[in-house]
Amino acid sequence: MNELALPAIGTGKQIRRRSRFMRKAFPYFLVGPAVVYLLGITLYPGIYAVYRSLYTGKFKLDYVGFQNYRELVADSAFWTSVINTLVLGSITLALEFLIAMTLAALVYRDPWVKGWRILFMLPMLFMPSAVSYLWKLLFNDGRVISDLLSRVGSELGNIDFMGSTTLARMVLVVTDVWQWTPFLFIIFVAALQGQDKEIEEAARLDGASWKSIFFNISLPLIRPVIAIALVLRGIDILTMFTPVHVITQGTPGGNTETLSYFIYRTAFKSFEQGYASAASVLLLIVTVILAQTLVRRFFKSGTA
Amino acid sequence: MLKRRKNSSTAATIILALWGLFCFLPILFFATIALRPRNEIIAPEPIYFPTLSIETWAKIWAEWPIANYFSNSMMAISGSVLICLVLGIPAAYSLARYRYKGREDIGFYILSTKMMAPAAVAIPIFVLFGQLRMLDTVWALMLVYAAMNLSIVVWIIRSYMLDIPHEIEDAARTDGASDLRILWSIIIPMCLPGIITAAVIAAIFAMNEYLFTLIIASQKAYPLSVALANFSGGSDGIIYNAIALVSFLAFFPILLLVILIQNHLSRGLTMGAIKG
Repeated sequence: MNELALPAIGTGKQIRRRSRFMRKAFPYFLVGPAVVYLLGITLYPGIYAVYRSLYTGKFKLDYVGFQNYRELVADSAFWTSVINTLVLGSITLALEFLIAMTLAALVYRDPWVKGWRILFMLPMLFMPSAVSYLWKLLFNDGRVISDLLSRVGSELGNIDFMGSTTLARMVLVVTDVWQWTPFLFIIFVAALQGQDKEIEEAARLDGASWKSIFFNISLPLIRPVIAIALVLRGIDILTMFTPVHVITQGTPGGNTETLSYFIYRTAFKSFEQGYASAASVLLLIVTVILAQTLVRRFFKSGTA
Repeated sequence: MLKRRKNSSTAATIILALWGLFCFLPILFFATIALRPRNEIIAPEPIYFPTLSIETWAKIWAEWPIANYFSNSMMAISGSVLICLVLGIPAAYSLARYRYKGREDIGFYILSTKMMAPAAVAIPIFVLFGQLRMLDTVWALMLVYAAMNLSIVVWIIRSYMLDIPHEIEDAARTDGASDLRILWSIIIPMCLPGIITAAVIAAIFAMNEYLFTLIIASQKAYPLSVALANFSGGSDGIIYNAIALVSFLAFFPILLLVILIQNHLSRGLTMGAIKG
């Protein structure tokens, strides 16, 4: 850098000193390329989505103002997808949290914790599309779950998991829980292991029970980590797409569509890009607000 | 701890073992799917002990350009990780080591792109690559994966850089080393574990990516994740043994990478928010 930015003010040693401007601008030069690149996939698409949402038509675009938005808020399929996203999302996140925390609490002082961790982690290492096909096969095409249920005494015979909204939603939840509970589990175990052992030890010497140590000491200590883990997982769940695309395609009757899938279907299957852009803009606004509040709240900027 | 929990530890082990089985048995079943002939996959009754044969592999391998899917994935992923590192390391260094106006906002802006819903930008991305005549190319996948992962890479590496004590750099600076030289010969070697962790996490997410890949790749750029969807269009229905085979093809490299960084995994997954 010295060699590049060399308005040689003096001679000798001074040649190594950069101009004041360069010293101030240097950190911006370092971070600049990354920021420009990211603006390319956030700012540009954001602006384009807003622009496109005001037009209709497939090849020749006609300006329609807010027509797309008016139709969207009157579209029951859109609201179904919004409600689905929220319902599926909260059930999935709650289940993943409970299971991951239980497993982490049982395992974090276990001498075999590394072995358990590798075992529990395996589902996470498959591609989501692969996992979706696996559960589609187990539930639906291969009828494995029906068969296993009837072996333990169920009288239901072959259950049509795609025939009922509740069951189809349950399939999506199971798929996501199976694959992504390990994400939270790994983080919780690390957080529990990372806390100060001596605090637990002191509480135990005072005669506190295992339960009260965990709930009154360990859990509050790792609360910031829990928050971050849930934010990261929550954002992923709210944008759930792959299992819907692979397993249900929205069946029965569009009742398992998530918002991401709704946008994909209207844009790339019905080719109504203006209409889908309107939904994109709404989703974008929600994510920007969420990102701004959650990110600043839970991530420390940490100055060196 | 263990002594105290003798009674409850049996119950605990049972719970852990049950969840372990729930994790493992579907994977085992999936593995047998990759090895069985078609008529034993979709049968009137599920078959748990099929006739396994390697010939199924040879058949799938001959019928589908699987090596192609694999190399598409590898190219798109490694290219995207490279872009992330080239852009991300200097950015992380800037955020970790300098004080300047707007630094916090820039850092949080970078992080917030991680929260962006892919579906919200899918249409513009599709239109953009269409205009650039880059649809169905590995290059487009590479650029999208890089954009998607850059935030993670910056934040993970930044967190490792914050751990490096200032004294070392100060000493080098007194000896007359330039900032870039310090970055290259002191900082980068010292936070290599962080860089590797970031690269592995970015590679995993790139391997997993589905929505962007689905709209960009339509035939010749198919990577592994979307190639699966390719096995379901025809008159044969869904060809599950090919799907299982390709799934494991993606699984093993990821497993190796994760074992490599297993002690850094939680830190990587939280983008540096927790250590250990």
